[in-house]
Amino acid sequence: MAKHETPLLDQLESGPWPSFVTDMKHQAETKPEVWDILGQLELSYTDKITHWKHGGIVGVFGYGGGIVGRYSDLPKRFPGVEHFHTVRVAQPSSKYYSTKHLRDIMNLWEKYGSGMTNFHGSTGDIILLGTRTENLEPLFWDLTHDLGQDLGGSGSNLRTPANCIGQSRCEWSCYDTEECCYFLTQKYQDEIHRPAFPYKFKFKFSGCANDCVAAIARSDIAVIGTWRDNIRIDQAAVKEYVAGNYPANGGAHSGRDWGKFDLQKEVIGLCPTGCMWMEGGQLKIDDKECTRCMHCINVMPRALRPGVDTGATICVGAKAPILDGAQFATLIVPFMKVSKDNEFEELVNFIETVWDWWMEVGKNRERVGETMQRVGLPTFIKVMGIEPIPQHVKEPRSNPYVFWQDEEVPGGFERDVVEFRKKHAA
Amino acid sequence: MALSIEDLKLAILEKATKSPKPQLYIKDFYECDADAKPRVVKNAANDLVKEGKLMFWSSGSTTMYALKSRIKNEEGAEGVN
Repeated sequence: MAKHETPLLDQLESGPWPSFVTDMKHQAETKPEVWDILGQLELSYTDKITHWKHGGIVGVFGYGGGIVGRYSDLPKRFPGVEHFHTVRVAQPSSKYYSTKHLRDIMNLWEKYGSGMTNFHGSTGDIILLGTRTENLEPLFWDLTHDLGQDLGGSGSNLRTPANCIGQSRCEWSCYDTEECCYFLTQKYQDEIHRPAFPYKFKFKFSGCANDCVAAIARSDIAVIGTWRDNIRIDQAAVKEYVAGNYPANGGAHSGRDWGKFDLQKEVIGLCPTGCMWMEGGQLKIDDKECTRCMHCINVMPRALRPGVDTGATICVGAKAPILDGAQFATLIVPFMKVSKDNEFEELVNFIETVWDWWMEVGKNRERVGETMQRVGLPTFIKVMGIEPIPQHVKEPRSNPYVFWQDEEVPGGFERDVVEFRKKHAA
Repeated sequence: MALSIEDLKLAILEKATKSPKPQLYIKDFYECDADAKPRVVKNAANDLVKEGKLMFWSSGSTTMYALKSRIKNEEGAEGVN
């Protein structure tokens, strides 16, 4: 029986879509504290303010992240959510789980928490929603000792690195995203578990420009697979697509009749740089103009494949819209070899150069992308020791001013005033 | 010349004690030793947490440091019930 009247929440159950309210009522049958979440949420809808107090000192010994304190500001009215801390559990690379492991995690959470989860949070962690302070240490012990799984990052820490499915199942992945993510997760354990920075910092690793983990939109350093030679073309397969014998997009849109495949309209006409054309019955690509966007490869996967000289593009500075709106990452390094053979040396050097600069120059609660925006890209790439390239230019200059550095001007900007006055009397 | 780690820790504790703000960002401790690298200051502050002399306070998105006696603790704090 309902502990609280929830007429506003009940409306959310009336639509054709699955409702979290229904799920929570179901969960409340075995976890009565969930009624208090519903009751408090209903009150927030009425009062039009949150009744959560966010933040605190809760955590597990030795860690400065992974637990987010949360309390009700109405603990007497809603005692079930007096403490309602969030636990962030680091996800395995590519989010591969066995069913048994998932059941074990859920059993652990039924034992120590509300049973409410969020699979997955935007960083990729398994989010366990709602437990009391006294349950944190026993939960952490069982999680790490019995299930072999660790907490993820929160606060001003390096957040849990995330990667796409990579070469484990995807033939387009231009580097081993799982190896790279795992290596850097192990290397930067201290930064993940203890605060290190002016604000949060995220890595994400995508194997190609399809960017299945949204690295370019959500991470401070996005490592996105690419290639620098030519797209591999199977001309016989191109003909099969044109003849309608192979389904476009691997059959992904076959639930509806879209008409006959039109190479000109669906591939060549949609190429963002217009670098493709048909000639003598063959598909041609001007690879030096190609931006490696993956569109043509997505449409005709049996005919087109990424090149073989593969690596990654490094973009810096994406964030979600808390301050100043959402921001995509900015391209900094167009191509970098990313390999375990040298322990990802070039990438590690890049990351640590960014960190050293941002820790010094970044303001409190300022993401690295905001710091870059504040100081300007020319300053950032100079700090990084990177030569400017046309791809760094967002748009052509709209004013006539050219800024020169002192060292770029013969003799610098220091003038001998006496010499100057000989020619230009005051 | 940068302070020794022990002297840096003492300077951090002094800052945490005397600062008008009870809770401090890691950057607030940089001024304890202008010659020290930010990572060195971060490591010293985190060592003080391990030693139980400072505590972390986290909003979930940002982490601050404070002495136990000065930290804001939501636990047990009564709301407008």
